[in-house]
Amino acid sequence: MRGDKVRPTLRSVIGRGHLILALLAVTLASVSLTLLGVLALRVYAEHNLHLIARSINYTVEAAVVFNDSAAATEALSLIASTEEVANAEVFDANGKLLAQWIRPDTGMLSRVELELAHTLLEQPISQPILHQGRVIGSTHLTGHGGSLLRFLLSGLAGILICTALSAWIALHLARRLLRGITGPLQSLAEMEAWQSHLQSENESLAHQANHDSLTGLPNRAFFEGRLIRALRSAAKVKEQVAVLYLDSDRFKEINDSFGHAAGDAVLVAVAERVRAQLREDDLVARLGGDEFAILLAPLHKVEDARRIADKIIASMDLPIPVPGNTQVLTSLSIGIAIYPDHGATPGALLNAADAAMYQAKRLSSGGQQTAESEHSAANVHHRS
Amino acid sequence: MNVAVSPTERSLNWRRRLLMAVLCVLAPHVFAQAPDPADLAAQRAESVTQVVLGILSYARWPVEPAQLRLCIVGPTQYTDDLIKGTTQATGRPVVVQRLLASHPEIVNACDAVYIGKLSADERSHLFTSLIGHPVLSISEGGDQCTVGSLFCLRVGDEQVSFEVNLDSVARSGVRIHPSVLQLSRRRAPAP
Repeated sequence: MRGDKVRPTLRSVIGRGHLILALLAVTLASVSLTLLGVLALRVYAEHNLHLIARSINYTVEAAVVFNDSAAATEALSLIASTEEVANAEVFDANGKLLAQWIRPDTGMLSRVELELAHTLLEQPISQPILHQGRVIGSTHLTGHGGSLLRFLLSGLAGILICTALSAWIALHLARRLLRGITGPLQSLAEMEAWQSHLQSENESLAHQANHDSLTGLPNRAFFEGRLIRALRSAAKVKEQVAVLYLDSDRFKEINDSFGHAAGDAVLVAVAERVRAQLREDDLVARLGGDEFAILLAPLHKVEDARRIADKIIASMDLPIPVPGNTQVLTSLSIGIAIYPDHGATPGALLNAADAAMYQAKRLSSGGQQTAESEHSAANVHHRS
Repeated sequence: MNVAVSPTERSLNWRRRLLMAVLCVLAPHVFAQAPDPADLAAQRAESVTQVVLGILSYARWPVEPAQLRLCIVGPTQYTDDLIKGTTQATGRPVVVQRLLASHPEIVNACDAVYIGKLSADERSHLFTSLIGHPVLSISEGGDQCTVGSLFCLRVGDEQVSFEVNLDSVARSGVRIHPSVLQLSRRRAPAP
């Protein structure tokens, strides 16, 4: 069906579109969220750094006032070691270094954190130390991005999970949507299938109208139609056409003694054997009862028609099995009429062949007879 | 013979030059380690001024005086800079004057006293008169600090540190900011 070819393509196209759309939307959303998160975190980290600097200022204020380096260092390390500070320095009013604290290097990760802090934050930050409203020194702070790194890593993991989840949900929804689209299409395809079924039904009906249901051979109407056409084309190209009229010699007898089922079996066997002797293009039809007709078109020589008639008669030598475990022998009488010698019209040709067949039957059943021009001379041909 | 002498002289010269070079390199360091005594005194005086003004800035009186009257009592070593007087960051002037230990109105004339070298009698007389009055007392010498004085300075070359007598602080009625107390307590066991 055509639907089978179209449906997967449509499904895959829509599915791919949905997947791309979902991934794009999720990626854009997550990237923008991450950027916003990093920006917000940067603000908070800087604020945090300023808070740390301020609390250091409060703590070291007295030490700076009394120019006490040891106390300042102690206070500085007390605060800086528990906070996210990489480096802290306290200067007095003259810019002399009073106290310094540097976070011990704890491996590769801390270097990454430092780099991250340097890229994201504006540092080192500097804050003045005030005592009674006057600047008595300053604190310089460099943060380290431990929490930044943790946020980025956990955020990245969260985004990956969310992306996967969103993509899965989007795909699920897309699949449902797709079903909504393909459902009607499928029923449309089913309708097409129904239509084609009707078409084949029609074809089989036409076949039934033109063919004999018992033997499967074309019927008289079909044969006559083909004959008309064959004569028309033969008249154009000056060719010969042969019509053979066949009649079973013992059919009535078989019917009476073995029953109609046996008669049917004989008819089917005769039809098969006759068909087997002919070329693909030749036509054999059942005209009715035990009468068959053969159309040989084109015919090159009259002898060919006679040879074929002989072969058909010979094919009847084998007994035919009939229902009831018995076998019967039958024979055929064949009349041959040649266009244009024995008739120019289908009716005339058929009549000539019919008459030749009767003549053959009258002279000797199981033989063949070629029609004479205007029935002038009988040319009885017995097989040897 | 000339051949033998010549290398000896040359090596002598070479050694002398090396010695000269070493002396030249070392000289600035040697001189730096022995600075001018006058400079040292001035430096100490400045440090003392810084610490005294720092203590004053962290002190609160029951009634805040409009100008802070600091009296220097007795012979002192490091008040050359302090005596000039100054102004606190809050804008309050610090008026410094020298008084005799026997001055009768010390309690009323001073908000803070800087005590130099006094005899035991003079000290006990001074502290007796100060009892019950909000006067911040700072002793220059550390020897007798356990008695009476709120703060005792320990003047060293590196820096000037101080001790706090918490009992005296509590008795005086002058409030001292906790961070100063913390600073002094931490340093008390150091020397």
